[in-house]
Amino acid sequence: MVTIDLSGLEIRRANERIREAAAAGESVEVLNPDARHHIGVGVIHPVDIHVRGSAGYFCAGLTDTPRFHVESNVGWGLADNMYRGSVVVGGNAGAIAGVAIRGAEVVIKGNMGSRAGQVMKKGTLLCCGNANFMAGYMMYGGRMVILGQSGERLGEDMTGGEIFLGGELRSLGSDAELVDTESAEIDEVLAFLDRYEIPFKGAFRKVVNAGKKLRYGAAERQVRSIPYFGFSGDSDYWNRKIQEDVYIKSQIGRYRVRGYGGARELPHLSDLAFRKDIAMAAVGDDPVGDVEMRTKIGGKNGANPLDLTMPVLIAPMSYGALSRSAKQAVAIASGMAGIAENTGEGGMSDAQRDAAGQLIFQMLGGRLGWNIHDMNRADGLEIYISQGAKPGFGGQLMAKKVTKELAEIRGIPAGIDLRSPSRHPDILGADDLVIKVEELREATGYRLPVSVKLGAGRIHDDIKIAVKDGFDFVELDGMQGSTGAGGAEVMEYVGIPTISAICEAETALASIGRRDDIEIVLMGGLRDGVDAVKGLCLGADAIALGTAAIIAGGCIACMQCHVGQCVTGIATQDPEHEARYKSKVEARHIYTFLESVRWQIAAIVKALGYADVRQLRRDDLVALTPEAAEIAGLPYEPGLRDAGPFRAAG
Amino acid sequence: MCGIAGILLKRDGVAVDTGRALIDMLDGCQHRGPDSTGFALYGGEEKGQLKLRFYVGSDNEAGDAIGRLKGVFREHGADIVADERVGGCYRAVVRFGGDLQRFSYAVEHAAKVLSIGESLEIVKDVGGAHDVDDVYDVHVFKGSHGLGHVRLATESDVKPEASHPFWATGFSDVAIVHNGQITNYWKMRRRLERRGFAFATDNDSELIAVYLADKLSQGVALKDALASSIDDMDGTFSFLVSTKDEIGYAKDRLAAKPMIMFENDDLIAIASEEVSLNRLFPGRALDTREPPPGSYDTWSRSI
Repeated sequence: MVTIDLSGLEIRRANERIREAAAAGESVEVLNPDARHHIGVGVIHPVDIHVRGSAGYFCAGLTDTPRFHVESNVGWGLADNMYRGSVVVGGNAGAIAGVAIRGAEVVIKGNMGSRAGQVMKKGTLLCCGNANFMAGYMMYGGRMVILGQSGERLGEDMTGGEIFLGGELRSLGSDAELVDTESAEIDEVLAFLDRYEIPFKGAFRKVVNAGKKLRYGAAERQVRSIPYFGFSGDSDYWNRKIQEDVYIKSQIGRYRVRGYGGARELPHLSDLAFRKDIAMAAVGDDPVGDVEMRTKIGGKNGANPLDLTMPVLIAPMSYGALSRSAKQAVAIASGMAGIAENTGEGGMSDAQRDAAGQLIFQMLGGRLGWNIHDMNRADGLEIYISQGAKPGFGGQLMAKKVTKELAEIRGIPAGIDLRSPSRHPDILGADDLVIKVEELREATGYRLPVSVKLGAGRIHDDIKIAVKDGFDFVELDGMQGSTGAGGAEVMEYVGIPTISAICEAETALASIGRRDDIEIVLMGGLRDGVDAVKGLCLGADAIALGTAAIIAGGCIACMQCHVGQCVTGIATQDPEHEARYKSKVEARHIYTFLESVRWQIAAIVKALGYADVRQLRRDDLVALTPEAAEIAGLPYEPGLRDAGPFRAAG
Repeated sequence: MCGIAGILLKRDGVAVDTGRALIDMLDGCQHRGPDSTGFALYGGEEKGQLKLRFYVGSDNEAGDAIGRLKGVFREHGADIVADERVGGCYRAVVRFGGDLQRFSYAVEHAAKVLSIGESLEIVKDVGGAHDVDDVYDVHVFKGSHGLGHVRLATESDVKPEASHPFWATGFSDVAIVHNGQITNYWKMRRRLERRGFAFATDNDSELIAVYLADKLSQGVALKDALASSIDDMDGTFSFLVSTKDEIGYAKDRLAAKPMIMFENDDLIAIASEEVSLNRLFPGRALDTREPPPGSYDTWSRSI
């Protein structure tokens, strides 16, 4: 038994020693815990860890197989995302106990706080005392046992799993219902209580999901799609698209869902031009060889940075929205190009991990596919707050795409219309977020850069929070970004344009003198190397491409990504459709496209008279429209509007 | 976005220094708010005297502000008993028997008021708990009760006057600290402004202070004022309030913001996180309690 005294020891050092001991198969005793946060996070070995006192937030979080014994109380987020293993708490637990567990056994001898078991997927959460507000909120699976009172709104918006209640039912949550119990399952619950030596004599009632909200009431009728290029129609008023919208809504009585990007005209990077006339600039045979483009991202606070051969990343897109084959193609291409790929929401696959040279692992509110082992093999971590195409909304994956295999990876029931939570269980403000960021760092030994993805909304405030909460970089996503499925109106009308996002971010960081403390990766409808250079001029440290990479890999822009029958095999989980997708061939196409981006960036940088991408400045740009001039604070040059991006000389 | 703390000694003779206790509790949750730190401290009242604290800064304008303040004191018949400058703060003890609301609105025009009270003194500035203590000697304070706050500025600026605790402008001895966001701020503020109340900042937390003080001045008990605040305020909040002889808390119905408390025969201590409570009792597992959503309570000194 290794003894660790927390009085006078930093939690970071303590956790290093706990993990070392665990790896050596030694049990651990923690003295004087004094409710400190993050005790024992990241342990992945089956050892006993005794906490002699109270623990703070995220005790036993992001772990697999250890057995924790906490003598007294624990704070918020007990056993966060714990896979296998167990935690026994002698006292009370704070809010969101058992959040996102994936198989662990969590026993709380006292009471537990609000929203216990939020987004839990598998395993058992037992509370011997009283539960509180919204226990079982958005749970996807597993078993919750409450011996005392239920608290208000038990099982609020639960999707799957079972809640066994021994005490008084205060009230049921939305879409939850009481059902009869079977003796076999009660025997199992009693056996579980026996195993943890919990005496209980009463009877149980059982609460499950009532199934009223798991699927949209009416399916959207399939119609022949209008291609993107004709999407805006001939008239801007009662055009074909509007007619179609009205017609479909008259059938289904709700908003429409579609994939791809917004179709509205918005101020964008194409409204900016280079100040210098570079059309005839001599860039030589090998601009790529003449321009320094290697970019490191994420090392501001001591983590190992991403090391990119050019300031370009792949934007986050999930396995789920995209097929495994399409994700693999993107990963291969990113590896060939020496840039970073991103898992998006749906977890990490071996094929993707092996193909991508550098891979960012994304964490969302539903914690779908999130786990300590994949964190450990990632090259960067990303907390998703929102996305540019639909800020404030969670992901949507229609039932057709929620196959058995995909559901297994995400830890959810198959065949539901998955509307991912738009909020994180444990991030309700900047103050909680800072504790969450530290949890991720503690669990991975401070090796990995931690970033935040912000869909552009109130960037002026949000970016200041990002830097104050210690993120290494921010992925800033503008309104022109695409999505695999989103409410049509939301995609067109919610958010702010990509150029506004980067300009607001720069202004806000400058106002608190913190621009140098964080890096910005700009995304949201960037199409090529020209857009990339403009983004870098406006202040971004790197840019990310999503839709452009997908188009390079065979997308035909039919905007039916959400349906699940993508004819190209990209946005589908149907094996027959996916079989059409040739990952290796398309990877070559995506890679070739990325090389064209590299060449363009180098050529423009050189034509502007620089030898390094970091020399690009705002002053290299002018605005072609009054709106862009106002947003970016650049000189308005309407005379250059018809001259093309590089302007022909003379 | 913040961390909060409060402590009340239930009787005289408890061997706890409230200033030191609050510094320790706030240092324990400084991660929740590194931008600024503040204290509302109660004790040492003298009959007929008011303690006033202003933020005047440390540049040349500070002298002008103090000059203006002394003019207002004279106009309103407030005689200075003692005064000093500490850090960016000007502190004055005055003998005053007039209309406090009129007086406080008048001094508001001369300088930024931090607090006015017979017992209350608010100390707040940028930096951590120890930084603020280094300048203002909070640790020497041995009063009956107090509140504390660490702030991470999100929407408003990092300025001493925008940090907590907030004094209920115009009402003696009422202070609050708040963690969360009041989303019907402007609606509620306009309602109170129409009734003649002035606001010193655009910070949503100040609203809570003025709202509660308004109720108290109508003769509503603090506990009842807290109950109605849960109905009237929209948003996420865990807040603490203190008056001359009480402290209380209220928590929103969604339980979006943390709060935990420890109580024994000597004291009640409330904080955002248990780690702060444990700073008062190192090495000891405490029997703590997390208040349920939509709840409120008050404690007063038993003297």
